[in-house]
Amino acid sequence: MSETPVTVPAPAVGRYAYDQVDRTFLHERVEQFRDQVARRISGELSEDQFKPLRLMNGLYLQLHAYMLRVAIPYGMLGASQMRELAHIARTYDRDYGHFTTRQNIQFNWIRLEDTPDILGRLAGVDMHAIQTSGNCIRNVTCDEFAGAAADEVLDPRIHAEILRQWSTLHPEFSFLPRKFKIAITGSPHDRVAARFHDIGLIARPGDNGRAVFDVYVGGGLGRTPVIGVLLRDSLPEEDLLAWLEAIVRVYNAHGRRDNMYKARIKILVQALGIERFREEVDAEFAQMDRARYRLEPAIVDAIRARFAVPDLHAPADAATRMNDARTRVPAFDRWVRTNTHPHRVAGFISAVISLKPDEGIPGDVTADQMDAIADISERYSFGEIRITHMQNVVLGHVRQDQLHALWQELLAVGLATPNIGLIGDIIACPGLDYCSLANARSIPIAQKLSARFADAGLQERIGALRINISGCINACGHHHAGHIGILGVDKRGEEYFQLTLGGSGENDAAIGQILGPALPEDETVDAIAALIDAYLVHRRDDERFVDTYRRLGAAVFKDAVYATA
Amino acid sequence: MDVRNNRRTTTGSSVVTANRLLDGRIVWLTDQGTWSGDIAHAEVWPNDRVESVIAETARDQQEQGVVGVYGVQLDDRAAGICPLTVRERIRAFGPTVHPQFAPGAPQEDNAHV
Repeated sequence: MSETPVTVPAPAVGRYAYDQVDRTFLHERVEQFRDQVARRISGELSEDQFKPLRLMNGLYLQLHAYMLRVAIPYGMLGASQMRELAHIARTYDRDYGHFTTRQNIQFNWIRLEDTPDILGRLAGVDMHAIQTSGNCIRNVTCDEFAGAAADEVLDPRIHAEILRQWSTLHPEFSFLPRKFKIAITGSPHDRVAARFHDIGLIARPGDNGRAVFDVYVGGGLGRTPVIGVLLRDSLPEEDLLAWLEAIVRVYNAHGRRDNMYKARIKILVQALGIERFREEVDAEFAQMDRARYRLEPAIVDAIRARFAVPDLHAPADAATRMNDARTRVPAFDRWVRTNTHPHRVAGFISAVISLKPDEGIPGDVTADQMDAIADISERYSFGEIRITHMQNVVLGHVRQDQLHALWQELLAVGLATPNIGLIGDIIACPGLDYCSLANARSIPIAQKLSARFADAGLQERIGALRINISGCINACGHHHAGHIGILGVDKRGEEYFQLTLGGSGENDAAIGQILGPALPEDETVDAIAALIDAYLVHRRDDERFVDTYRRLGAAVFKDAVYATA
Repeated sequence: MDVRNNRRTTTGSSVVTANRLLDGRIVWLTDQGTWSGDIAHAEVWPNDRVESVIAETARDQQEQGVVGVYGVQLDDRAAGICPLTVRERIRAFGPTVHPQFAPGAPQEDNAHV
């Protein structure tokens, strides 16, 4: 946040180390909100006056209570921060939290009068809830395997942090036409749904060794799903902030404010056309004070220095020892197949902790489990924890010879479900059980599906499949990007579910297409089972569900769902 | 407040609801003019009278410690007081995925305000 550190902070693995300036700012912000809450309770502020203030601090009034959304910058947490989240869950909420598709955490049962104290505790571990709501630039999301993945060409967290500092309390961008979401990855394999963001950045090293960025703009889900278009390729690092500032300025100036459903940048890009939009950005960029915005290598390196580098040395026989354990323990072997990701350093591996147990609530974690994850991360992954936009947890740097021990510890706390990337790894928004915007419940559908397909062997036989569920058209559950998308709709006060097929948030980004009429709640899980049956009958070789759908089209699947209806 | 939740037919009956200001919990207007966490204690109004009750109640919401006053249409075929829409049934009886958090459950605080 600051350019001139007062003290030299101790770097932490995977996340930016705050200095005293950052901490002083956070505490002042907490006291400011404490005063605002007191004035609301006394009646000095009306609800209409208070609402924008509480939203700027991540506090919503949801269906049953206040909900506090806490920012987890680019999904990175330290063990001490996770323990503080556990404490908040235990002390101020109902013993659990819910990780979201923007790599944040939500607490569903917060009391207004407790909120300043909660924000104070968060500030004590360098966390806050700023810009987790409102028409501003939201939490920048990032690849969950950043700095660890074997396929990564550039660690995107340094630039994610630069963007966080640039966008936090940006005076021009606190009242945009609508919310604004940025994602960044440094891998050629898009794991951040870059093409479904207002701005998606794909980073790689340029010829001079400094980063360059392919900039996608105008993507998004929600009421009008749009795949972002490439606005600029190979944007030099030094122009990153100026260029993004130009984009957001053009949006701020021309984005619609008369209709919230047409206020996102995707609508503006479509209305102007990409060429005209690019001209506008170019014109804005040309008249900017480039020197002021230039991202000098020294600045980038100073930010990088605030991240500790893990000591990645493993025994030469680490892989052998892991493979021995895989041979001895079939359940461990299955978990390794589904819940790990290749690491860039020999002898290391990234482990994914599924937050989708059978019949569980996707993304929910109890306070005890949070503490356990914190402890385990310290023992096995440098105290570094990543929250994924798929609502899971990643331990980025695990020694392969220690993976079996890690798995045993996860097993003991109910966190070793082997289903990452499979049918049980369902994204679901809170839905009508908690969200005041929702039309239908997402979670019970996810629970019934995970029960129906609980058998791990069956899940592996079905193979790679992404089911995403949203309780309303706002699409927090990313249903358009699911191979199978499920959208809850309201028909005369009752829940119905519309199915979409063929979506993807990855390199082959696609918007799922509506299969047919929405189904009543009690028919929806059977309909998904019918889709899976049809896929298993028609798939060739190792085709994924989405590949079979793309090859055959909708007819086979439509028949499977509606022929007997 | 989302207007769609405040829609009702010309006939039928409704109850009046809000969230408590201090903790956001859902409350229902009783025949004593107090607020209860239990919809069973709510006063039932014919729809042709409930608008004026809502307007009158909303005027004093700060003093009553509530926010977001609106009316909830009831299912007149149901036994007891039961909202017509699934959304309002979930508000009244708690999240279906956490039955332990239902109003009246041991963890829930149903204190009147």
